[in-house]
Amino acid sequence: MSVDLSNVRNIGISAHIDSGKTTLTERILFYTDRIHAIHDVRGKDGVGAKMDSMELERERGITIQSAATFCNWKGKDINIIDTPGHVDFTIEVERALRVLDGAVLVLCSVGGVQSQSITVNRQMTRYKVPRIAFINKCDRTGANPERVTAQLREKLGLNAHMVQLPIGLENDLVGVIDLVTMKALYFDGDNGEVVREEEIPAALQERAQEKREELLEAVSMFSDELMEVMLEEGDIDPALIHAAVRKGTLSLELTPVFVGSAYKNKAVQPMLDGVNAYLPCPTDVENVALDLNNEEKEFAVSNDPDDPLIMLAFKLEDGRYGQLTYVRTYQGKLSKGDTVFNSRTGKKVKIGRLCRMHSDEMEDIDFCGSGDIVALFGVDCASGDTFSSGDISCSMSSMHIPEPVISLAIVPVDNKAQINMSKALNRFTKEDPTFKTFVDHETNETIISGMGELHLEVYVERMKREYNAEVQVGAPQVAYREAITARADFNYTHKKQTGGSGQFGRVAGYMEPLEEGEYEFVDAIVGGSIPREFISSCDKGFQKSLVKGALCGSVVTGVRCVINDGAFHAVDSSDVAFQLAAIGAFKEGYMKAKPVIMEPIMKVSVEGPTEFQGSIMGSINQRRGIIIGTMEEGNYTVVEADVPLSEMFGYSTILRSLTQGKAEFTMEFSAFKQVPKMVNDELIKKYQSEKKNA
Amino acid sequence: MGKKNLVMNNPLRVLGIEKKVQESGAGMGLVMARAGLGKTAILVQIALDSMLWGDKVLHVSIGEGIDKTKAWYDDILALMTAEEKSESMQVTVTEIMQKRMIMTFKESNFSQAKLEERLDDLVQQNIYKPVCLIIDGYDFQAGTHAALQEFKEFMVRRGLKMIWFSAVTHRDDERKSAAGIPAPCHEVDDLFDIVMFIAPKDNAIDLKILKCVNCAVNAGTSLTLDPSTMLIQKA
Repeated sequence: MSVDLSNVRNIGISAHIDSGKTTLTERILFYTDRIHAIHDVRGKDGVGAKMDSMELERERGITIQSAATFCNWKGKDINIIDTPGHVDFTIEVERALRVLDGAVLVLCSVGGVQSQSITVNRQMTRYKVPRIAFINKCDRTGANPERVTAQLREKLGLNAHMVQLPIGLENDLVGVIDLVTMKALYFDGDNGEVVREEEIPAALQERAQEKREELLEAVSMFSDELMEVMLEEGDIDPALIHAAVRKGTLSLELTPVFVGSAYKNKAVQPMLDGVNAYLPCPTDVENVALDLNNEEKEFAVSNDPDDPLIMLAFKLEDGRYGQLTYVRTYQGKLSKGDTVFNSRTGKKVKIGRLCRMHSDEMEDIDFCGSGDIVALFGVDCASGDTFSSGDISCSMSSMHIPEPVISLAIVPVDNKAQINMSKALNRFTKEDPTFKTFVDHETNETIISGMGELHLEVYVERMKREYNAEVQVGAPQVAYREAITARADFNYTHKKQTGGSGQFGRVAGYMEPLEEGEYEFVDAIVGGSIPREFISSCDKGFQKSLVKGALCGSVVTGVRCVINDGAFHAVDSSDVAFQLAAIGAFKEGYMKAKPVIMEPIMKVSVEGPTEFQGSIMGSINQRRGIIIGTMEEGNYTVVEADVPLSEMFGYSTILRSLTQGKAEFTMEFSAFKQVPKMVNDELIKKYQSEKKNA
Repeated sequence: MGKKNLVMNNPLRVLGIEKKVQESGAGMGLVMARAGLGKTAILVQIALDSMLWGDKVLHVSIGEGIDKTKAWYDDILALMTAEEKSESMQVTVTEIMQKRMIMTFKESNFSQAKLEERLDDLVQQNIYKPVCLIIDGYDFQAGTHAALQEFKEFMVRRGLKMIWFSAVTHRDDERKSAAGIPAPCHEVDDLFDIVMFIAPKDNAIDLKILKCVNCAVNAGTSLTLDPSTMLIQKA
């Protein structure tokens, strides 16, 4: 393996669902000799694409988990993370982007920039990921890569410029013109593996020249030398253009656009050349870590293999051989048998086995260097943990993890299913921080919560398939929250005398809304009115109270509890007594603190023919949605709105019937907002009646 | 407290022409400047003023996306509320944002007829009934007197109080109307009740009133804006 970091590319492949990114990855693996036969996503051979290793993924034709793979193209080591296209699996996309240096944004030449592309692009911008675009499916009826390039500029605000032109479109797609070298490229052989270079067809000469001028004008902004040559009207060395495109791409000011059709084996190899030429190597990107010994001050990691090791665990998988941890090294090197420190737990971990992953297969390696993405075996850690060699104490900046917005009650059908379900839930919650589970002690049901209906549906399906855990599923429920809006005092005494030693504790103080964060406990006791050893008992009591709010039984968030007075008894005060006193105090203060119910609001984007714009807006309006705006483009309109999640169940069916199946929508979590009074009253009423009947 | 602070910062209020804008009914306003001097920022402040009066605003953006237009509002509101981050301010912001809808069109796709058609959709289904329209990016080079007159009639038909336009001036085009309104609006200036002009001055930006029918302030009155925020520069 090469150690020169300039020969390493860590890239992600992201796009809107069904843009064909898994097919593209399959072709990449084929052309880089990692696989020796091509299997399609929904192929008749029933094998499925290599990267869709989960049975469910192959069946549904969508990517759920991102799988990591490695290949080598023309001397460059490329680590690829295939990422899911559905917004419910957005954490997978975000995790991938956190550890990648560059990305390929795949777009459908017919569908163009769709709503999920906007989400993915926003995520790429958040993590400052340089990108190239690949307009796929140019063989499909209605393909128009130039329109898609224009959309990249208008909808995503990217400075997108085509570096290739297709030769023919739809059924007539035969190859591409490279606008840098001004050569036509054709793809021969059974699987397009032989790239044939020819002169540009005469009929396309003029158009190609025109597009090249456009490209040169755009990229000359990034190279004075190129601009000079252009002004002198001299011959332009392609290397000069490549360098300028690279500079523009790395500074996130330019997005080179490639075209082709992965399914028809057209122009995947030139796109790989683009990955090599334009996407950054690990040293081109600045990554920062937080120095834990210096008030978490940010510092840039060095990428130097001779420096102390820093690596980030970005994904966990519980496989046949135990826990598999995907890590990205940012500096230093790691060898088999090394001992590393987990910065979060402070524990030493010995690395027994080190692998390079190729979807669900693995290849043992002896060491990995800075910039590498590899998998570790048998390391007990959580996703997002930082490992170091111990000479430095640092943490890579934490990843943005959205809160779950939807929940489902699940009940195992029998005892065996109960045991298997526990195993499955244990694994899934460790792997996916957006998937959470708990037992509702009142109803005795297990509740799972996540980012959307599909997200939970997939986990229920996986429980059944991978763990043989058959469960009955209840109707999806919105994960409401409760929050207080005012400051309120409490002063509660818990006193119990029922023979033997009694219970006594008094807790006084106030609660107030917390602007940022879920919960804060402040100990403002002076003079020892509550002894030190019972302070944490008060904290525990408050935390227990947060689990179920008094309004609708939802989690209470955004509360600061301050205790400033209390009383104890030398004999009767205990941990339990103070916990119960704090629970009582919370109950006393809570209703005075004007609690409200908050609901998840989704950012919804509906795209459909303009003739249905009125119906689409009407349907959003009926769902308590607030329309942010409409974007009209030719015969298509995009309506963006904020809509409460509770109103979105079953929306896809309604949208289909309203628009003759011509509109589609995506949604992602936006924020928690207070519910209107009417909904508030309904929720309280429902909770009260459930409590009565329980 | 929240609303009051926002009100105090608004250029229309400071110029004392907000009453005229509110009471006159069916008027057209125009903000002119060279490219990149902050027309949209002023239009957004005007829109916010309307929203603070309780009026619903439809912001029509020609040639820009929803995200970019929305970002203008978010940025300007963030600047206006920078000094007060209270919960009541958050509630105020959420409330006033519910009075704004953005509609974007491609340059080649926009026409007054199309806008009217879209507006009908909104009004007839009781989704949204704006009283103030902001049209940012209208092509005055191509827009004739008759086309703009059509907007005026459309306002009356749809019960709109005010339409605000932005227009790009060019350094090398020195044509002006008798009232001093520069090209490309010099031949349509009779249709506008208020015309403002933005021009750089020393290290700041001047917002000058070129025309204001029935306003308390005289033509030529100007405000100094902070070029980094486009808000009124505090002394």
